Amino acid sequence: MKLFLLALRNLFRNTRRTLLTLAAIGFGLSMMIFVVNLQNGSYQAMIDTAVSSMAGHVVVQADGYQDEKEPTMLVQDASVVVATMASEYPDAVVAPRIFTGGLLMSAHSSVGVALTGLDAVAELQVQDLHEKVVDGEWLASDEREIVIGVDMAKTLDIELGDKLVYMGQNGSDEVQSRLFRVRGLFRTGSAQFDGRLAFAHLGAVQEIMGGGDVANMVTLHLDDADDAFEAAPRLEALLARPELDVRHWKDALPELFAIIQVDRGSGDVMLAIIGLIVAFGVLNTMMMAVLERTREFGVMLSLGMKPRQIAWLVLLEGLVLGLLGATVGLLLGLALSWPIVTYGLDYSSMMGSETMESGGILMDTLVFGAWDPVRMALYFAGAVIFCICAAIYPAWSISKLRPVVALRHH
Amino acid sequence: MPIVSVRNLTREYLQGTHTVHALRGVDLDIEPGEFTVLMGPSGSGKTTLLNMIGALDEPTGGTVTIDGKELGTMSSGARSDLRLERLGFVFQSYNLIPVLSAFENAEFVLMLRGMGKAERTQRVMETLHAVGLEGMENRRPNQLSGGQQQRVAVARAIAGKPALVLADEPTANLDSTTSGELIELMKALNEDHGVTFLFATHDPNVMAAAKRVVRLVDGRIDEDLHR
Repeated sequence: MKLFLLALRNLFRNTRRTLLTLAAIGFGLSMMIFVVNLQNGSYQAMIDTAVSSMAGHVVVQADGYQDEKEPTMLVQDASVVVATMASEYPDAVVAPRIFTGGLLMSAHSSVGVALTGLDAVAELQVQDLHEKVVDGEWLASDEREIVIGVDMAKTLDIELGDKLVYMGQNGSDEVQSRLFRVRGLFRTGSAQFDGRLAFAHLGAVQEIMGGGDVANMVTLHLDDADDAFEAAPRLEALLARPELDVRHWKDALPELFAIIQVDRGSGDVMLAIIGLIVAFGVLNTMMMAVLERTREFGVMLSLGMKPRQIAWLVLLEGLVLGLLGATVGLLLGLALSWPIVTYGLDYSSMMGSETMESGGILMDTLVFGAWDPVRMALYFAGAVIFCICAAIYPAWSISKLRPVVALRHH
Repeated sequence: MPIVSVRNLTREYLQGTHTVHALRGVDLDIEPGEFTVLMGPSGSGKTTLLNMIGALDEPTGGTVTIDGKELGTMSSGARSDLRLERLGFVFQSYNLIPVLSAFENAEFVLMLRGMGKAERTQRVMETLHAVGLEGMENRRPNQLSGGQQQRVAVARAIAGKPALVLADEPTANLDSTTSGELIELMKALNEDHGVTFLFATHDPNVMAAAKRVVRLVDGRIDEDLHR
């Protein structure tokens, strides 16, 4: 304990130098904490958006669809699946979806389309697509309704209420056509989305695919994403249909998690570089602080202190410096992160729209940070460990000193 | 039995390509209760001999025996322990630990020995009283005069009741009045408390106070005068 006190006093022997070093550690760590909370928030948002729009917390699809994404791989008796899931999880939302590609034609022009058939009411509770409708309305009850993007509307040169003809192949490679009437136009800000996507009622797309009670996926949306890990095997057992593939969201979106992992990995490399730069600064400080006290260590050695004890003293100084610096960094990091966690960070002026595309997912430009306590604790510990490591070399070199040499040092 | 017994001690070291013979075969015994001065011109080997006896440096040849134990046979850890338990040091430039108060500097060695707090406090207070520093316990070295700092250094050296205090030019940085007071103090500690002192010094005042003066010339004992 006395040694700890001595270490603390030694640190503040050169107050300015120690404060500068603390500032470097604190600034580095606070940046890392800020970045990690912002990252965590965007990943959460990406996952939430992707889970609600591209999958569900639990996804039921035809075996093989996960990898092939072939529109003709269909869940048969989809309404039975929907009913089973809804009765098992009455508080959750069950949303069947069916996808197909093809051509949309107006009187003036034609354009390739990715058409989604969905339960317009169920999706209201899952996605915010209806909020993106800038002209007209979201799907209501008429099977002929279609909602398309504003860019597509421009290409097709059509207005609300105009007729469109869909043309494409069904499951039996027969060309199918169907008439739609434009009910709404949406704007997401992404040219990819606004120029390619169209939404219609499930029944209409089922008919295009040759009729029948089918869907490409039946999705279950829970209040708590973690419940999915238990719900997926349970539903699989309950449905008892081997031709169906039931999986939870983590398994349903492997690409998304791969993207996040790569992004997080490259972020970690950057953060490690920041940490290393700060660590070299600390090493420099420790080295100077130790060398200028060579004579004093010589005195301590002559008084009977053991080299090992002197090494401990130096390591302890590294520890105290690390603890103080990391505390400053943590507090500063929390203070910097708080506004983005509470009020979010608005990219809209930068992106020029309310939404942006990230990894193929349409995201809100208002991104909220999310506390990442595990990583914050990890970085805090990392900062302390880096400081102790930066003290190892000075501690080792001073412990090799012979007292008579150290005493002659000026 | 002498506390220190030096036999045929030699120390050579290289200065560039040139070998310096700092000690050329020294024999010396120090008995308990002595107040002995090593004197001689610069480069005569005083400090080198003091460092050998203090187990701070290793000889080229010959032996140093302290309390019947030969230093050459001891590990560096054992030599640390010997310094801690049996020796006290006073340096020319005080060499106090600047971040510790007078009390804590004197306490330092006792703490390293693992002495309990109550005993430590009592011992330090007694020692600071003995060197005339009562009331200044909480001052840091930079709040003390040179003479007061050297008194703290003496307190640190004697607080552990060592068998021998080694003092290398302890008065060299002090004015004559202060140095006279310090010599009086050490003499009193020698006479009243039986502390054994071995000095290396040029200071004629220290020599005047000494009971024994050993004169070194060119690494050899030239004269050994008992009074």
